[in-house]
Amino acid sequence: MNVGVAHSEVNPNTRVMNSRGIWLTYALGVGMLHIVLLSIPFFSVPVVWTLTNVIHNFGMYVFMHAVKGTPFETPDQGKARLLTHWEQLDYGVQFTSSRKFFTISPIILYVASRHLEQEIFSCKFLHEVRHNTLCHKHCFPFECADPQIATTTRSPHLWHQQVLS
Amino acid sequence: MTESSANKPGNGQVCHRVKNGVKPGRNGFIKNHHHYHHQQPMYCYPEDKVQHTACNGSSGLGLYSRPFIESFEETPMLVAVLTYMGYGILTIFGYLRDFLRDWKIERCHIAREREEQRDFVPLYQDFENFYTRNLYMRIRDSWNRPICSVPGAKVDLVERVSPDYNWTFDYTGKVVEGVINMGSYNYLGFAENTGYCADASAEVTMKYGVGVASTRQEMGNLDRHEEMEELVAKFLGVESAMAFGMGFATNSMNIPALAGKGCLILSDELNHASLVLGARLSGSTIRVFKHNNMQSLEKMLRDAIVHGQPRTHRPWKKILILVEGIYSMEGSIVRLPEVIALKKRYRAYLYLDEAHSIGALGPGGRGVVDYFGLDPRDVDVMMGTFTKSFGAAGGYIGGRKELMEYLRSHSHSAVYAASMSPPVVEQIIASMKCIMGEDGTTLGRDRVQQLAENTLYFRRRLTEMGFIIYGNNDSPVVPMMLYMPAKIGAFGREMLKRNIGVVVVGFPATPIIESRARFCISAAHTKDMLDTALSVISEVGDLLQVKYSRHKRLPSLD
Repeated sequence: MNVGVAHSEVNPNTRVMNSRGIWLTYALGVGMLHIVLLSIPFFSVPVVWTLTNVIHNFGMYVFMHAVKGTPFETPDQGKARLLTHWEQLDYGVQFTSSRKFFTISPIILYVASRHLEQEIFSCKFLHEVRHNTLCHKHCFPFECADPQIATTTRSPHLWHQQVLS
Repeated sequence: MTESSANKPGNGQVCHRVKNGVKPGRNGFIKNHHHYHHQQPMYCYPEDKVQHTACNGSSGLGLYSRPFIESFEETPMLVAVLTYMGYGILTIFGYLRDFLRDWKIERCHIAREREEQRDFVPLYQDFENFYTRNLYMRIRDSWNRPICSVPGAKVDLVERVSPDYNWTFDYTGKVVEGVINMGSYNYLGFAENTGYCADASAEVTMKYGVGVASTRQEMGNLDRHEEMEELVAKFLGVESAMAFGMGFATNSMNIPALAGKGCLILSDELNHASLVLGARLSGSTIRVFKHNNMQSLEKMLRDAIVHGQPRTHRPWKKILILVEGIYSMEGSIVRLPEVIALKKRYRAYLYLDEAHSIGALGPGGRGVVDYFGLDPRDVDVMMGTFTKSFGAAGGYIGGRKELMEYLRSHSHSAVYAASMSPPVVEQIIASMKCIMGEDGTTLGRDRVQQLAENTLYFRRRLTEMGFIIYGNNDSPVVPMMLYMPAKIGAFGREMLKRNIGVVVVGFPATPIIESRARFCISAAHTKDMLDTALSVISEVGDLLQVKYSRHKRLPSLD
């Protein structure tokens, strides 16, 4: 069982990210990571999203951009030894669908987690604005208290807001 | 999007008919290529076929005189996901074990450099052996099994155990006898140590000795060699033939003599390592077309002729198409009528490697050209090996007389390699005479027929049981998909426990989600042996749950 025994594909690593079902497996893997982190009791949801992002980015960095070469010997006389997996994809052809997918997926993950924070931000912000306009209608603008910027610090109230909103 | 065996561009055949009434389009749909030619019965007559291949273009209709049924069922999505997870878990554990070995918590069996050489440039690339030490070593007992009898239909294995998870093996001293051999390329059953061929070889050894100790051009050209080459030429239907001592060397040493700088080689995606090496050694430009895909080949031919060489746009000196008769990993047969039609239209040369198909296909056992009923003169270079169907070793090249005269003086193998040894030559002569019927018996014809029957029966029963089988219905190479890495090792071991020897193969020799077990049917297998093997395969298949096929075949009354 060696590379080049049964086919003329010099480096099988180039085709792995194009094979059937790998994108789905990747998405499921990220989902599993998220669920595992969610089940740890003392992490709140925004923390979990941040951790998912960080661990996903770290994992992809290590496997795609830090480790060089192939885990098997290839018949290309070592040309792939100096290349990371990302550089090996599709033999260096840029803007293939795999490259586009794996470029966009961390962005989507980030936007998903920001969207979650933004929701909390807007919820609390609107709450404060409502409070200010109702209670301090007659005040001059610069005398009003600034609306509190929602933080992602942990507080048990955040859980309630999550549940209620 | 993602590729799979079904998404690859269709082979452009005009009539796509699903024969067995299964609805295509579901998750496990089959890519079924089915060609019938009903109307003109004259296509079946051998003398008319040249005319028809010339006047038909590259369309599929009219070139095939018999149904061409190939199927490569797509991987079920759940199985693909589980396969990737399996490899992922193995990778993580591999990293863990490497960490433990590095910190001396676990004993390290791998070759390491000595302490004094720590500051030198490293001899071994650690990462390149990751797969070998973490995945291959775990299931290594399925390969390199030592045998101690002739590998016919049944073989004796030396029993071995491993105390340290396959890093070392101990021989218990016992022999596992009568293992049904589903792994040898023994298509016509000539791997035997009794009978007419063995007696003839023994006699010749007494007369000529065992070795030749010279090259063909010096003192190594025996009269048996000349007789064998004439016999091979007669068998194939070509003007002249030449034989070499090693099948791999035939390809790798002769393609450089045929093509050089300024030539273009169009080679199939799944060509054997010997063809790839020969193409690389020749120094020509190599372009790879999709496996058995005539549209891809035609497009490449057109591009090559229109644009010429890369920067200068000069015309190519020659264009050589490299294909194989039967591809041993997929079990598919080349679409030879279409390749020949394309070759004639675009004035390219065809090099056909019949390593697995010579002796195994065709009503007379004469290979894939005989199987399709085509003219051997259409193929420019017919290459094959004696290892598989003839029970010998070595390879041959056949073609026109001028080509062979050229190769006799220019081939590296003829000039530098030792010639074949006399007992091997005699085995080839005896077995070829047997297949052609010239020894006065019908043994050869019976064997060819037996192989065809065995193939059809075995393939039909396996698909009825629900396994995913790749390849053409007529090819004696039967790859059965296993997919998951753990099942590769489990299948090999379970089959050996039940006294059947099989060959399993996985990543990186195959694509990552297409690990398989490969059965090679032999004419020496009796129906009882096949039935035993099939029942055992069904039992192991149920145990390991490898019956993945998504469509039901009705069992026929046999």
